[in-house]
Amino acid sequence: MGNFDDFKTRLKIAKSNLKKIDDDSSKEASFLGSAFKLGTELVAAVAVGTIIGFILDSWLGTTPWLIVIFFFVGAAAGMLNVIRTAKRMQK
Amino acid sequence: MATNPMHQFNVYRIGPEVKIAGIDISFTNSSLFMLLSAGAICIFLLLGTREKKLIPGKIQLVAEMFYNFIAKMISDTAGSKAKPYFPFIFSLFMFVLFCNMIGMFPYSFTVTSHIIVTLIMAMFIFVAVTIIGFIKHGFKYLKIFVPSGVPALLLPLITVIEIISYLSRPVSLSVRLFANMMAGHTMLKVFGGFVISLGLLGGWLPLSFSVALTGLEILVAFLQAYVFAILTCIYLNDALNLHH
Repeated sequence: MGNFDDFKTRLKIAKSNLKKIDDDSSKEASFLGSAFKLGTELVAAVAVGTIIGFILDSWLGTTPWLIVIFFFVGAAAGMLNVIRTAKRMQK
Repeated sequence: MATNPMHQFNVYRIGPEVKIAGIDISFTNSSLFMLLSAGAICIFLLLGTREKKLIPGKIQLVAEMFYNFIAKMISDTAGSKAKPYFPFIFSLFMFVLFCNMIGMFPYSFTVTSHIIVTLIMAMFIFVAVTIIGFIKHGFKYLKIFVPSGVPALLLPLITVIEIISYLSRPVSLSVRLFANMMAGHTMLKVFGGFVISLGLLGGWLPLSFSVALTGLEILVAFLQAYVFAILTCIYLNDALNLHH
């Protein structure tokens, strides 16, 4: 019959080790995840802005002005997205 | 013989053609692999929870790891208010993960390499999050488009930028998953083609690339499922805890 106290301490050590590993690996995964995220954030907003500009242009008949304006607004929105993601990463 | 690297993405019909009101809803290879991944998830989780032992067996251990992983991710990113949405996010993560992983088998079909599949999932999340936001906060939810502390002169411009940023969520969510899966699988196929065309003499280099890429693709398959789930959590967090 093994010593019960001995088992308890061993369990405690194992648990604390496990927690450490758990924290490390989840942190690493979230860094990699954020890295994959950043690129598309920028592109998607530019695409959405341009599409909105295109639709408004063909609707209001103001070609090509709104598509130009919304392209830049979309680029601004993309940068906003990237900045927000980067801020969230630093937390 | 299919040497075209895009051939693997072909969707074809299995069985009879079914049309309802002019819309083709026949069973395709895409549907087959969706069913396969859903079935694999069910079998895996049923086996994992069949014997609830204090000291878990292998399958139970993995199932519990997935559970803990997602539960921790939700509480970290969206707080305790997001607990009721655990089943949805868990199923979403498992579905994307299994679709990606089953796509790694040779001769299989990667469901998530089609933008229509990922876009529908992303649109569903986008609409659901918006509805949840309006239910929880009413018209106050519109405040997320109007950040505080902005000069009145700039406010219209900032609001338009915020709206575009909000609308770009489903696009970036779906394009990221689809593009990563499609690019990876195309690349694998291209290097595989090089191995054949360079033959016994020069084929070893692309073969080694292929092996390395397969490892990378398995990482990407997991990461993309993770990113998809964590972004859903972040969007949910914005809708549940209104602060800007």
